[in-house]
Parts: sequence; structure tokens; C-alpha cells
Amino acid sequence: MISCHNLTRRFGDFTAVDNLSFEIPAGSICAFMGPNGAGKSTTVNMLTGLLTPTSGDATVAGLSIVKGGLELRKRIGVLPANLGLFDDLTVAEHLTLTGDVYGLKREDTHLRTEQLLRALDLENGRNVFASRCSSGMRKKTALAMALIHNPPVLFLDEPFEAIDPFTSRTISELLSRVARRGTTVFLTSHILSTIERMATQFIVIRDGHIVWNAPASELTKSLEEMYFDLVEYPPVEDLEWLGSGPS
Amino acid sequence: MARLRPVLKAIATAMKRERKTFGSIATNNFFVASLLMADAVGFLYLLGALVVLFPLSTDPLRKIPPERLAIWPLSAVEHRRLRLLTPWLNPVTWGLAALAIWALRHTESFSLLALAAGLFAIGFFVPSVSGEPVFLRWIPAPGGAFVQLVRKSLREMMLTLDFYLALLLGVSALAYRLYVPAFPEEGRMVMTLLIVLALSSYAQCLFGLESKGGLTRYRLMPIEGWEILAAKDVAYLLVILVVTAPLSAITGLAAGLAALAVGHAASLQEGREQTRWRFSSGASFNNGVTQVLAIAGAGVTAYRITPLILLPCVLACAGSAWWYGRKLQSEL
Repeated sequence: MISCHNLTRRFGDFTAVDNLSFEIPAGSICAFMGPNGAGKSTTVNMLTGLLTPTSGDATVAGLSIVKGGLELRKRIGVLPANLGLFDDLTVAEHLTLTGDVYGLKREDTHLRTEQLLRALDLENGRNVFASRCSSGMRKKTALAMALIHNPPVLFLDEPFEAIDPFTSRTISELLSRVARRGTTVFLTSHILSTIERMATQFIVIRDGHIVWNAPASELTKSLEEMYFDLVEYPPVEDLEWLGSGPS
Repeated sequence: MARLRPVLKAIATAMKRERKTFGSIATNNFFVASLLMADAVGFLYLLGALVVLFPLSTDPLRKIPPERLAIWPLSAVEHRRLRLLTPWLNPVTWGLAALAIWALRHTESFSLLALAAGLFAIGFFVPSVSGEPVFLRWIPAPGGAFVQLVRKSLREMMLTLDFYLALLLGVSALAYRLYVPAFPEEGRMVMTLLIVLALSSYAQCLFGLESKGGLTRYRLMPIEGWEILAAKDVAYLLVILVVTAPLSAITGLAAGLAALAVGHAASLQEGREQTRWRFSSGASFNNGVTQVLAIAGAGVTAYRITPLILLPCVLACAGSAWWYGRKLQSEL
């Protein structure tokens, strides 16, 4: 469902993503992990058409990300890193707009809006302008917008961050169910415990290169242990003045 | 006082930065073109001052989030001192104080003082001038993606001072027309053109109030670039239609279409970010001059010669929307 061939993106002299190649079959939940600045969001942005690759190509839901155009946008649901919300629309208006833009029938849009607001615990904030929402509400609104048109492929950039544990569990259960029905989910996250429970494939990226790509069945130890083995982290500087009495 | 000093300094810095955002007036078509209208410049700037008084009158203490203020180790006395001192970091307070002293000697100016003080008080105590006021929710959107995008654009327009200046001009003209039986015919045209002029700089920055998130969403939506631009145009023309209806709606529409036909290029190529509750800033002097000439040409022709000028105006605006919509699409 997602097929990536030598995908590369450079920003001037800096190569953010270098020759990325991987396959994600339909119905999978792929957790795309890596430290900050590793190239996760750049990859997601390329796969969703938000960023043009410097070289290489990928197919998503059978369409090239370079030539897919509007048809590609119809086949994917995206939770972008900056959430993609309009400040001057309320939570419910975002969902109605999305339903209409993707050509859903009015009744379907209404029904799905109500269900998503309920499922994601957004009912009380339905009439709040996005600019006035809490970060959790904004995240959930953007997630609902990605889901409402029932796309075959979902790209979710950090869906669990800023979300309370109950809603987080709701989301992971929701995603596991849609994946079992054939939807492909490609998500990035730093919440290792959550994605360990739900993902069927793991990809770890570091400095723009894939350092690990394996199905969940090949996980021989906890995801956290595996992650720290793969991703070097700098030693923590000791701030000696911190905790040494009032200054 | 030692602990208050850095707090006051921080507020003063924030206020100074905020005042800079009012500099958009310098590149706003209305205020630049008003300078050429020797007889009316005073009246037009007075209207502008009335509109700008609300956002200028904000309480400086709101620059510090209340949670932060509550966390800081300030005593109750220090909080009270802060409350008393911070209004004086707003230059409008000094202006009002000067006006009050002047009014003591010129008692006939009490009404002006009362009006200014009233407007200041509203701006000072109403907290919503920095966000979306409740009335924006009342704009209906019966259905369809396009209609909803139009509503969104209408809301954006209503977050600029250009809209309120145009509204004030429209209401003034309507009142004049109702109470002065011999409203000069030429006056209708001039007032209509002034209203379009007040809204013209906004046509040069149609995407200026979009957040980064909003622009990302446009890129993710399966809609053509011209549709996005057309929704913004329809919202713009709707406002013009309503505000100029008591004067000459045809003149307003022709001038508005001309403003948009010229403004699309700047909206896409310049991409100037705008600030809410401020006047829109135009892209460049050349663009402003071209736009003002186009507005005047289209408006005067529609009023004095023939309303058929609307046809070429519609074609020019539609052509420009299609062309720059394609550019928008490729950039998205």
C-alpha cells in the first residue's frame, strides 16, 4: 500500500532524508520512529504530497506521490505535524468542512461528525474556535479530520502526544480496528509503550537513514530497549546549580 | 519596587512591539490615498482613529498571562501597584489624560472626551479584541465545502480593521443619506469608492491571516487552487455588496472586482503575514497605485457611463483567479 523507492530530500547542503526505501503492506500499522530531527516529519511530508522529494519516488494507495495530485489527496487521511487547523473555524465546523470537501453526503458527514466527536471526547468543545482549543483538543480535531472520509491510508504525525491516557487508548483501539479492516496506518510517535502494543511493523530512522525495519514478530526485546540500542543519545549534562539550595 | 521593575520593563517591551504592528497603516491604500484628499483628510483620519482606538486601548497587564502573574512571587501590594502603573504604559492613557486636562479649559469638548474615554474603556475591559469574538459564529453556512470556505474567509475579513472602517463609512453614508434629503449624486459615488478603497489593501493579502496550519490544510485538501481563491473573492465581494448597498452596489462591485483582479498577484507572490485587529498592509507602492487606479477607473465608469463595465471586471477577476489559482495549486 505504501512503497518507497530511494526517497531523498535535501535542504541546500543538508540531506534530511537519504535514499529511503521500504514497503508497507495494506492493513499494517507501521510505527516510524527516530529522535528529533531524524527525518520523520520530512518523510511524512513527502509521502503526503506536502513536500516534493529531491529524488526518488513512492506510491501510496497505488498513486505516485509526485504525480498523484488531487487524486492522491482524496485517498489519504493526514494528521500533519502542525495539525493543519484553521483558527477561525470551530471544532465541529472543521469536520463538516472536511466531509464536504471529500464529497461525503450531508447525512454521512453529520453522522460521522457526531460519532467522532463522541469517540474522541470532543463533544463539549464542538463550538470552540480552533485558536481557543487546548493542544489536546486541537490534536483530536485534526485526527478526526484525518478519519472522517474513511481513507485507505492514514498518515499520523505524533497522534498520541498531548492526548490523555483514555483518549490515547481509544485512538489506538480505533486504529487497530481500522487496520484489521484493511486500512494502512503510518504513524510517527515517541510514546513507545503505546506503539509497541499496536504496531505491526517498526521502522527506525536516524540522520535520514533507516537503521531498523522489521515486523513486530521479530521484536526480541522490549521496544524501548531496542530503540535505545539503535539510537545513540548524548550524555546528560549535570546542571550542578540545580537542586543545590536556593539561589 | 525592585521586583516590579523587570515586570514593567517586559510589559513595556511587549507594548512597544505591539505598537509596531499598527505601522501597517503606512502601506494601507486608504490612508495613503486619503493624504491626496486635502478637504476630507481630517475626517477620514478621524474615522480611522476611532476604529483603531479599540485595539490600541488594550490593558497592558494582559500582556502577562494571568497564570504566570499568579505564580510569580509578588506580594498583594506589588500586584496593586502593578495594576495602577501598567495603564500608563499605554500611550492612549497619556493621550486621554492630556485631553482631559484640555477639556477642563474647553468645556465644550467634554462630549469628545466622553466619547474617547468610553471607547477606551470598552477596548480596555473587553478581553476579546485579541481573539475571535462570539458574533463570528453567527455567520451561516447552509452547506457545501465552497460555502464553508466563504464563511471562513468572511470571518477572517471581520478580524481586520479595514472591515470596520468600511462599515463605519457605509453607516455614516447611510445616515447622511437618510437625514439629508439632498444627498449629492456624486457623493454616492465618492463614498462607494472610499469604502472599496478601505477594503482594497486586504485584497493584496488574502492569505495574510492564514496560520501555517491553515495553509497546510489547503495543501492536503483535494480542491483546486482557483476554488480556494474564488471562496476568498466571494467573501470579499459579499462584504462590498452589503456595505455599499445603500449607496451604489454596482459601482462597489465593479471597483471590488478590479481591486481583486490586481490584488491576486500580490496575495500569492508577496505572501505578507498580517496581524489580527490591525489595518491590512499593502504589498508595494506600485501595487497600491495600480489598484487605486483600477478601482477608480472601474467605479467611475460603472457609476457615470455604464454598468456594463461589470462584465470586463468579472472577466478580469475570474481570469486572474484562474491564473493565480493555478500558481497556488502548483505551489501547494
